[in-house]
Amino acid sequence: MTITKPQLKYVTNVGFCADFGGRGFQLPTSMVLRSDGVIFVASRGKPQTKGSNGIQLVTANHEFLGQIGSYGSDLGGMIWPTAVALDSDENLYLADEFLHRITVFNKKGDPIKSWGTQGNAEGEIKGPSGLLFDANDDLLVVDHRNNRIQKFSKDGEFIEVWAGSYGDGDGNFNLPWGIAQDRDHNVYVADWRNDRIQKFTSDGIFLSKFGTSGQNDGEFHRPAGLAIDSENNIYVADWGNQRVQMFDSEGHFLTKIRGEAGLNPWVIEYLDSQVDEKKARSSFVPVYQPDTDDPSEISARMEPYFWDPVDVIIDDHDRVYVLETGRHRLQIYEKTI
Amino acid sequence: MTTTHSKQDLVLMAHFLRRAGFGATPDEMDHALEIGYDQILDELLNPDHPDIIPDDLIRRYHVDLSDLRSSGDAHWMYRMVMTDTPLREKMCLFWHRVFATASHKLIQSRVVTNQINMFREQGMGTLDNLLIELSKDPAMIMWLDNQDNHGTNINENYGREILELFAMGVGNYTEDDIKETARAFTGWRIVNPEYMSIRMRNNTARPYGYMSWQFEYDEDDHDQGEKTILGETGNWNGEDAVRIICEQEATAKFIARHLYHFFVADELPVPQWPHEEPRDPEAIKLLCDAYFASGHSIKAMLKALFTSDFFKDVSARYARIKSPAEMVVGTMRLAGPVDLPSQEIFAAASACSNMGQALMRPPSVEGWQGGSEWINTGAYVERVNFAARIISNPDKLGIREIINRIKSLGESGSMSPDDLVDNCLTVLGPLDVLDSTRSGLKKYASKYGHLSWEENHSADQFDKAAVAVIQLVVSSQEYQIV
Repeated sequence: MTITKPQLKYVTNVGFCADFGGRGFQLPTSMVLRSDGVIFVASRGKPQTKGSNGIQLVTANHEFLGQIGSYGSDLGGMIWPTAVALDSDENLYLADEFLHRITVFNKKGDPIKSWGTQGNAEGEIKGPSGLLFDANDDLLVVDHRNNRIQKFSKDGEFIEVWAGSYGDGDGNFNLPWGIAQDRDHNVYVADWRNDRIQKFTSDGIFLSKFGTSGQNDGEFHRPAGLAIDSENNIYVADWGNQRVQMFDSEGHFLTKIRGEAGLNPWVIEYLDSQVDEKKARSSFVPVYQPDTDDPSEISARMEPYFWDPVDVIIDDHDRVYVLETGRHRLQIYEKTI
Repeated sequence: MTTTHSKQDLVLMAHFLRRAGFGATPDEMDHALEIGYDQILDELLNPDHPDIIPDDLIRRYHVDLSDLRSSGDAHWMYRMVMTDTPLREKMCLFWHRVFATASHKLIQSRVVTNQINMFREQGMGTLDNLLIELSKDPAMIMWLDNQDNHGTNINENYGREILELFAMGVGNYTEDDIKETARAFTGWRIVNPEYMSIRMRNNTARPYGYMSWQFEYDEDDHDQGEKTILGETGNWNGEDAVRIICEQEATAKFIARHLYHFFVADELPVPQWPHEEPRDPEAIKLLCDAYFASGHSIKAMLKALFTSDFFKDVSARYARIKSPAEMVVGTMRLAGPVDLPSQEIFAAASACSNMGQALMRPPSVEGWQGGSEWINTGAYVERVNFAARIISNPDKLGIREIINRIKSLGESGSMSPDDLVDNCLTVLGPLDVLDSTRSGLKKYASKYGHLSWEENHSADQFDKAAVAVIQLVVSSQEYQIV
């Protein structure tokens, strides 16, 4: 019996290099999708151009709805934004791994509070890099430099150390990054420097793991973000290998994508206003035979490819969104059989 | 069995490690002394492993380094501070100076980083291979406009500079040689040259960020005709031009003089070379002989240099002014390894720039002249402030090791301030200083009185005194020379 593996078909991309702010992103690191279709994208920006930090609001239909937050350590500011998440009331939570804190924005986008104390004692955090609201609307924080995940209430009250300590055994972590859950509220963690994905119950009990170090199918080099679709397929942003891999619910490899972004409407508008660049693009070959096998350098040369794919989310139609830090955009794919 | 080394051995080894690397920590000095001069030289000339650079951690935390649009200097600074193959890294610095390529015209430092990576691989190989790779290097092509060098309309920029600044020096070729060399390199360009050129000219990261470049040879754009370069006639392409250049006596002398200036003693600025003889013509001849005998091997020249009498002689000690990169990297290595993430490396790259050497941003294709150019009032103040800043925490691994070594030279847990100074100078080198410097340090140290480290309070006081003396030593004029 032949099993037909699913394929991922490119639909569009949303984004633009907004190095001084404005419509687009600047070195984005995380995204989350609200029920009305608004996508919140956290841009890390560059230290030299502080206008480029913030959380931009866009839609899959290429609408740009503005920005909330900016560079800094005051309330509503950020320096190394790493993760965003929405609670059941759709307030936005932002993790900053330089400030070691979580900032909460209300539905209007106003910052209302922040919490977090730097440290390694229980309840303290060091480099929060992933956020996930569980079935009870409590917040799981990937406390990555402490190699653990901790559970807090929405208001920042410490509940428990949910899982993890440093190591490579079952339930151990080495600088974990992304976190996601399936329909049954099992939790999956991208165990970044162990090059694997680990699965836990909603109470933090280790269930299983998959993935080893490497570049072959099913192997990882520093997996960053991940997401689960309605059929419990798992999508992993295989950051170091510059690709996204798709697995079934048991962790068996199904397919992978390297990225194939074309020009989105913002880019077309931009090029229409830049006559010389548009003309020069008439002879532009976006993908060609590379003379290196370093995936990061290849991504740096080939415009359509993922460059540092860092986060994945799934919408209600099971479309797959992949956020790329290096290309300041997110690419959207649909699943076909 | 512990071998006791003579003071001469120590002094020579310290001199060698300062020149062939960035100086040595006490542990590195121990290792070198244990295996001996010839073997440590062999180790440094023949590194058998790549450096372990945690690029994943660098990109993870310093996200703005992930595209290397800027901050390539910080990325390279990290490599120099953390390398365990310092001669290979120093050769990157050497070639970066000779083949000076600046990221500000290229509007991204990623491609210059790739060029430095190429120096790391080819820098101690043959000059022929190095010049061929340099001619194909996308950063060099765009820096010297070779993407505009067409069979039907040549651009002489690269043809001129490979002769004048990179290989032979002024006065050793004619204007016709420049034109013919340029013709040989027609068609040597990058993929998507039109679009990449416009992006560079417009200094834009739009729409989707910067793009790195790749070499491409366009046969249709190459001038297929006969060319005469330096007296040899044929249907030459770029590889042939390199072969002809590398066979020239003038090329050997030019490279030899650069190596002498960088590793032995400060030479005059390069623009004066056509008019003034080298400091040591015999040394240059020795290096040239090694060049030709080995098939143009840079490694062979380096071996000849480091085993020569002219290098080992006392007249070569402290005969060069440290470049800012050597000063910064050497001081950082002394203080101990750098953790990621931290802003230390960015601060170090910035300090290096303030001292007059912005890595990957040389002032022009002529590079930095070095020597006395490095020292002016502002630069000196920056050097002193930087060193004091780095050497301020006794619990940094490297500083703690130095303090422990100083203590090991004391007796029964105590030390006079005079001995503290002498022992400091021994452990940090050994370093030669003027009598006036030494007595000045001792006068300063005397305010701490007789020191011991038996109890917590006195141990803290010892740390404080030791750090203060070390800070003064690395601020001294003697520390600025190598």
